[in-house]
Parts: sequence; structure tokens; C-alpha cells
Amino acid sequence: MLLERLGKELLFFDGGTGTLLQEKGLKPGELPEVWNLLHKEEMVDIHRQYYEAGSDIVLSNTFGANALKFHSTDYDLKDIVTAAVANVREAARLGVHDGREVFAGLDIGPTGKLLKPMGDLSFADAYAAFREVAVMGEEAGADLIHIETMSDTYEVKAAVLAAKENTGLPVFATMIFDEKGKLLTGGDVPSVVAMLEGLRVDALGINCGMGPTQMLPVLDEILSVASVPVIVKPNAGLPKQKNGQVYYDVRPEEFAEVMVRIVKKGACLVGGCCGTTPGHIREMVRQVKAEEPFPACIPPVRKNHTIVSSYGKAVFFGERPVIIGERINPTGKKKFKQALKDHDLDYILKEGISQQDNGAHILDVNVGLPDIDEKAVMVEVIKELQSVSSLPLQIDTVDEKAMEAAMRIYNGKPMVNSVNGKQEEMDKVFPLIKKYGGVVVALTIDEDGIPDTAEGRVRVAGKIIGEAEKYGIDRKDIVIDVLAMTISSDPDGAKTTLKALRQVREKYGVCTVLGVSNISFGLPCRPVINANFYTMALQSGLSAGIINPLSEDMMRSYYAYRALMNYDENCEEYIRQYAGQKTAAPVQKASGLTLKTAILKGLKEEAHHAAREMVKTKEPLSIINEEMIPALDEVGKGFEKGTVFLPQLLMSADAAKIAFAVLKEELSKKGTDEQKKEKVILATVKGDIHDIGKNIVKVLLENYSFDVIDLGKDVAPETVLEAAVREDVRLVGLSALMTTTVVSMEDTIKLLRKEKPDCRVMVGGAVLNQEYADMIGADFYGKDAMQSVYYAKELFAGKNDKKNDN
Amino acid sequence: MTDPRMNDGMANDRMVNDGMADDLMMNNRMAREALRYLGYGTQEADEDTLGMIRECFAQLKRTAKKRIVYRVFDLHLGEDGNIEIGNMRIESRSLSKNLKGCEKVILLGATLGVETDLLMKRYSCTDMARAVVLQACGAAFLEEYLDGSQQEIAREMAEEGYYLRPRFSPGYGDFSILHQREILSMADTARRIGLTMTEGSMLTPTKSVTALIGLSRKQEDCHIKGCEACQKTDCAYRR
Repeated sequence: MLLERLGKELLFFDGGTGTLLQEKGLKPGELPEVWNLLHKEEMVDIHRQYYEAGSDIVLSNTFGANALKFHSTDYDLKDIVTAAVANVREAARLGVHDGREVFAGLDIGPTGKLLKPMGDLSFADAYAAFREVAVMGEEAGADLIHIETMSDTYEVKAAVLAAKENTGLPVFATMIFDEKGKLLTGGDVPSVVAMLEGLRVDALGINCGMGPTQMLPVLDEILSVASVPVIVKPNAGLPKQKNGQVYYDVRPEEFAEVMVRIVKKGACLVGGCCGTTPGHIREMVRQVKAEEPFPACIPPVRKNHTIVSSYGKAVFFGERPVIIGERINPTGKKKFKQALKDHDLDYILKEGISQQDNGAHILDVNVGLPDIDEKAVMVEVIKELQSVSSLPLQIDTVDEKAMEAAMRIYNGKPMVNSVNGKQEEMDKVFPLIKKYGGVVVALTIDEDGIPDTAEGRVRVAGKIIGEAEKYGIDRKDIVIDVLAMTISSDPDGAKTTLKALRQVREKYGVCTVLGVSNISFGLPCRPVINANFYTMALQSGLSAGIINPLSEDMMRSYYAYRALMNYDENCEEYIRQYAGQKTAAPVQKASGLTLKTAILKGLKEEAHHAAREMVKTKEPLSIINEEMIPALDEVGKGFEKGTVFLPQLLMSADAAKIAFAVLKEELSKKGTDEQKKEKVILATVKGDIHDIGKNIVKVLLENYSFDVIDLGKDVAPETVLEAAVREDVRLVGLSALMTTTVVSMEDTIKLLRKEKPDCRVMVGGAVLNQEYADMIGADFYGKDAMQSVYYAKELFAGKNDKKNDN
Repeated sequence: MTDPRMNDGMANDRMVNDGMADDLMMNNRMAREALRYLGYGTQEADEDTLGMIRECFAQLKRTAKKRIVYRVFDLHLGEDGNIEIGNMRIESRSLSKNLKGCEKVILLGATLGVETDLLMKRYSCTDMARAVVLQACGAAFLEEYLDGSQQEIAREMAEEGYYLRPRFSPGYGDFSILHQREILSMADTARRIGLTMTEGSMLTPTKSVTALIGLSRKQEDCHIKGCEACQKTDCAYRR
């Protein structure tokens, strides 16, 4: 059995097939997988040579055999995969002469597409493609699934999940790292290892991209964080080109020498990738066998790091305090609740970005609100946040369906908030952690409530850790929250919490987390208490505080603590933050600019300040009509005349937006309703991912008080129609960049014409012109963003006139 | 408002790598290109915009992960003007004119990486003016990178006795964008530099280029450069 030998014995993979196929006549651009059917004997021959060279695991020629990459009308994917595995089996029969146990691995490579949000492939579609080939491979008799040459954490997550959920086979996964230990999509070694181990792969590692020597430092890094057996499959050096041929020039002897070092470092499975041949493998096997401790391998060492990750970053818990930003949470926040109800994702994203800018390491995400579909919103917010921030996220929900859906589509190893000592809760949450991986916040509360004493909370922590162990969830993936109770009702609250923090750390050696600001509930000037308690908690062993990074008091505690504890080398960070700053908060100076001038010049802070001043003496609505609109009109006219350019137009728009926010606040304070806004839908059409033009139009339309429903990019015609009908919208704006996507624009217009004939459509985008717009049946072509604003204004003015006529 | 030439590769200015003065010259040239993409034509920009452009270039230098991959293939030009490169067959008069007299052809892909897309998305959310400037700077930055890389390739090819033609990208002239898939696959861009495409043949990451470069034994004096060679003479972004 493979799993029994894994991590105990050294196992040899095969080497490259591409080069060998080219030697046998594979043409550039030809699909190599077709050779499984057309050139069966050649394929079997290549596999056989590897078995004869000493490979224990030989991979099927199915690297590109997934529906997204394998485009052929002549061959059926299933036939290819079935034949491919059969070819490996046949080669084993012919090539293994010593009766040793060998394995046929189903090789799964990347789809060749980038996943959403950066690309257009959905996680679900990637998953479906991998599932299909994994199931075919198992049916064909593969002994394991080997996912390799992956560059994207999200794609490999889809592949691993597909393999684990739909087959019973062992699953290996290896990625391409560059010399700096980075994936092409930016991920680093700890983030990749954390995610893959969370998904419970049986082995992981590195392949392709580099030669064995270049892989050494990356291997060291992998071994320093990985607990499962590590795979190393280098190329025969870096690719070189001569006379139009790609070649690799590390000879078998040299390759094998480095592979011996790689085995001695602790790799448990070794083989070759591009450019390696049966000769390389034979020599590697020969040299490795001559060394100690063969046939054993160096057993993998279990690591105790508590790590959460995103696609780009890993955050380690430990001595250095981790900041979990708490602001993406509707509790007690009127504006945030409204944003959730209005589906105002921009508002939520900005909360994320501003916390990141202020030093957060992880963002808590809580979108729980009665009357919203929490699961759908959670998934959407997680996806969107991951497209603007590389910080790891903490999925914060009590709804287990939302929790699972979010964990599934999350790109990385998430933090999960939370589980507690109630059996029912543990039964719900631990299976999810087991399946998707994650670091879970464990609240020390159980069926009997929150224990009053530190000892009681420590006992609950122990119970949770014990229960997790039954699932095979290591305590490094549990962070204990001993809970902070407000001192206004429990005078010993803080002392109990601090004591429990120390005891939990000492007794179980686990990391801890705390929602810090609870401590001051019901007291005046809460930041004072919060900041001091935060420092005390850090001193008592708090690994991560869930705090507001925009709170200057909290951040002062944080930077001071790091400086004092020598976690901030040479106090560099502290100095960067506070050098030149007086201890008192700076007084905001008046700029003296009028609101109109501030908008004309595109100065945000000045616009904010001027608006604040002006509302003291003037009605918001007159400010809009007498100051702001004239300023915007002036900028818009300048843009048309060619005296104002796009960046300036948008600076003014952004300044106006900030002033509007001030006025809006004022209006809601007075209880005055805002004027009813006209709704406009904007979308970048299906197949199109360039949305900057649409975003420009959005900012300007919002300036002119339109209620923009932004459907985003790559939007299907049906989605546009559905929104138009649901919101009863009279104007839809569509953008498309290329001729290939103008087709979708035409489809969308046709659908709207048929199903919602009273809806007008305006279009814009690089390849469009008036003629083209007429051809696809648009009502209006906006050659620039301002034209769309004018059209919208005209259209709705016309509508209002009509109403008055009636 | 998106510039159609984000994905092209036709500028032929030369990059000089050494020396502060040269650096300054390069930055000025890139700034000029960025302004052109922003619709300034030859007009001067205000100090705020110029400041933002400088910041965006600095940010790109820190964030963008420039990567390039290329491979050389044999080229067969049929008498009917049809182009054959391995299994790929292209019908394009403008490309076949560009490649006339070439024996081989380079297929190349280059990208600024997903990191650049992430940065642009982020600013689309918080600061639209900066998002737009970053977009333009990204395009200029990519062009500059390609020009520099092309010089290196030219030196390499000169050793084998070949001269380079101006680079030519799918979607240009009558060279169909639908060849994008084959080019990406033949240059192995997904595996080597993380460059892929959407169903609509758009490159992802978005700040990326694919191009063909003809290799000929004869040095041709190519006066006509990319932008100026284009048939779309009413283009707002024309140099």
C-alpha cells in the first residue's frame, strides 16, 4: 500500500515525457495526450523505461487531459484517460522485473486558465473539470492522483477538493516555485503548505520551473514548515534555447548528485520533470541507493506553527502580536448595516482596505444580519475582498452553511470564527475544519455557559482541544478565546481573562485570540480602557487581538508593545509611525478653499473640510445645486473641450463624492429624505474582464446623483435582464473592450429588447464607434464617460417631463 | 475608455539601462507614453497628475512581477500569403507583409503579473483617478519592458545570424485575436510566466502582451513603427 510506505520509505517518481515525445515525433501545438490512443506502443515504451530505471511511481500522460485544456473534436476525454492509465499499467507489467510493488499515478496538470476574480474561470468550473478527470482516473485503475505544475493556490485547491471528494485515492500536489520561493500568482511557501496541509493532501512539494540546484533553498523553506512527506521533481536545469529547440543541459550524473543532497535534506519522494530522461532517473536511483538511510527516508517532522494564509501571504501566530481587524461587522454600525442591505460592496471593501492600510494582518468578516441571505453575501464578500486585498480572512459566522460555503471558496487556509465547547457546535464545525483546513477560534463557553473562573475557562479549552483531536485536528489549528467580560458588570472580568490567557498558554501551548474591546462596554472613553487592557493581554500571552486598527489608541499600544518587547528591530516600525508626530492629535487646519474650488481642483481633504463648514450655514440640497453641480458641470465641460483630462475629471469626481458623503450624513441627521434617485445598471459584458471604463462611468454617474447598480465584469445577458426587471431600471450601460466581446453586448441588447422593451441601452468601449453601436442596436454610444452622464440626464429629464404632461 | 493597445507590443523606442541621466530619460519617455494613453496627446499635464504618474511608476516598480518567455519556431510562408508555424495556420495579410522574407519566428508572451491587476482593482475601489493613471502607467511600463527585452533577444539572435522584425500582436490589423490560444500554448506561457487567456481571448493577467517577431537573415530598415503603421488613423491615442 502506498500510504503505508509514504514517509517511511524513499519513493522514486518517473521523469519527463515531453522531450521524449518530441524525439518520437510530437509536433509543436499537437496534443500529447492523443498519443495514448494513436501511439500506444511508444507511450508504453516510455513508461516502461522509467519502471526499468527504478521508478516506483509512473505518471500517466494526462497532464493536459481536462475539459478546459483538452480541446479536441476527434477524441473523447474518457478514452484518453482510460488508455493513459492502462498504458502505465501495461508498462509496469513489462518493465518491473524484480517483483517490487509499483504504482500508476493519474497525472493532473493545470487548466491553463486563470481563475476568477483575476481571470474568467469560476472555481466551480475548475472543480468540475478536475472532478471529471479524477473520477475517470480512478475508474481506469490509477493508484493515486498526482496534481502538479500548479502556479495558483486557488486552482490547486479546486483540484485537491475535486480529487478528495470524488475518489478514494491518495492525493499528492506539487507547485512551481521560482528562485525566491514564490508562485507565479504571488503565493509564498508557508501559505501554500498551510493551505495544502489544511486540505489534507498526502504529500506535497515542488516540481518544474527550475533545476535541482536552484530548488535547494526552496526545499529548505518547504521542509521548515511542512509536516507531510515532501516531493521534489526538478527539471534537468533551466530551459535553454538553441536553433529553435528548447533543451535542458543538466546531465544525469550531476542531476543525481544534487538529488542525493535533496534526499538527505528530507525529501521523501523524488523524480524528474522537464528534460529529465530514464537515464536521469536510473542514475538518481543508483546514487541514492548507495547512500544512507536508503531504503528509509528521513521521516517528516510534525511542525507546530499556527498559520493562516491567503493566496499571497501567510500569517504566523506566536510571540509577535497579530492584529485581526474587526470592522467588517454590522453589529452596532448603522452605515454598515445599510451597506449590506443595499448590497454596497464598495463600502465593505473600503473597510477592508483601510484596515489593511492601518496595519491589520487578518480581516474578520461578519455579514450576519436578519433578512439577508448570509451564505450568498458571505461568499460574495469573501471573493471580492480577496480581489482587492491579500490579507488572510477570518470567516465569522454562526451559520454553518455560510461557514462551509465561505471555507470552500476561500483562496488559502482561512481563520474561522468560531467553535465553542458545546457538543452540538463542535459536531458542526470540526468536520469543516477537517475537510477544508483552517485555524478555528475556540470560545471557552459550553452548555453551562461562560465559566466565572480562569480555571473553568481553561477546562473548556481542554475539552475543545480533546474533541478536535478525535477528528485528527491538531491543536496548532485551534486558537483559544478565553473571552473578555466587561468590567462594568464583572469587576474581576479583566483579571479572570488575563489569568486564563496565561494558563491556557502554559497548559496547552496553544495560541490565543481575544475580542479586546468587550472589556470596556458601558464605560466612558472606552479607547483608554481598551488600549491598556490590550497591552496587558499581550503581556499575558495573547497571540492575536481582534481590534479596530483605525483606533489610534490601540495601534499605539501595539507599536509600543512591539518596540518594548524587541519584536521591532531597532524600533524601526515605531519610528516610522511616530517620528515627527507630537503626542497630541493634530488639529485640522482650515484650507480656506471654497467647496466649489476644492472640487474643481480635485482636492479631497479640502472638499471634505469645506463641506463640513458649509453645512453649518446652508441647506445640503442648496449646497448640491448651487456649489457642487456647477463645479462638476464646469469640469465636465472642460473635459469635453480638451482642457481637462481624465485624471483631473476623476479627481474632481472623487472630491465631490467625499463632499456628498458629508451632506448625506447631514440629511439623514435631519431626517430629510434624499431625493429619489434614478437607477442605472452598469455592467461589463460577458467574456470581458476589463472594467475600468465602466468604473469611470460609475463614479461620474454617482456624482450626478444616479443610483448605480454595478453588476461588475463578465456579466451574462440573463443577469443584466434579471436585475433590470427586478429593479425596474430604465437605463442600462454596457461596456466591452474587444470585438470578441461585443458579441455578448449585442446578445444582451437583444435580450433586453425582447424582455424589457422600455429599457434603454447605452454602450461604450475601446472597439466601439457610432456605426458599430448602431449595428448592434444600442440606443446610445458614449464616446467618453461624460457623454454617458449627459445621455442619462437627458433621458430621465425627458421621462420626468412626460410624467408632468400626464 | 480602455486603451485598445493595452495588449499590443508595437512601440520601438530604445531603452537604455545604465546611468542616472538615462534613467531619467526613460522615466520621462514612459511618462510621456502614459500621458498619451490618458488622452493628453502632446499637451502638458498639471503637476498633480504628473506627481501621480511618478508615484504610479514607483509603485509598479515595487509591485509588478515582470516576466517574459519566448520560443523560436520555423516559419513557412505560403505563396498565397498563408502563414504556417508548427501546427498553427494564420491567414493575415498584414502579418504576412510583416514577416515577408523571414525564415523563423519568435512567439513571445510577457506580463506584469496578477499583482498589478490586484493593485488596479484596489484603486478602482478607493481612488478612481489613480486607478486610471495606474492603468496607463502599467501599459507604458510593459512596453518599456518589452522594448528592453527585445533588445536582448536581438543580441542573442544576432549571434545566430538573424535580424528582428517589429513585433506584431494578435488583434492587430487582420491578425485574428483567435490565434491567442495557440500562441500561449506554443510558447508555454501558462506554465512559464503564468500568462493565460479568457474564453474571449483576452489575456490574463490583463497587463500582458503576446507577439510574433519575424527573424530574417537580412537586416531591413523598418521606418514604420507599430503605432504609426496602424490603419486606424483617426485613433485618439495615435502618436
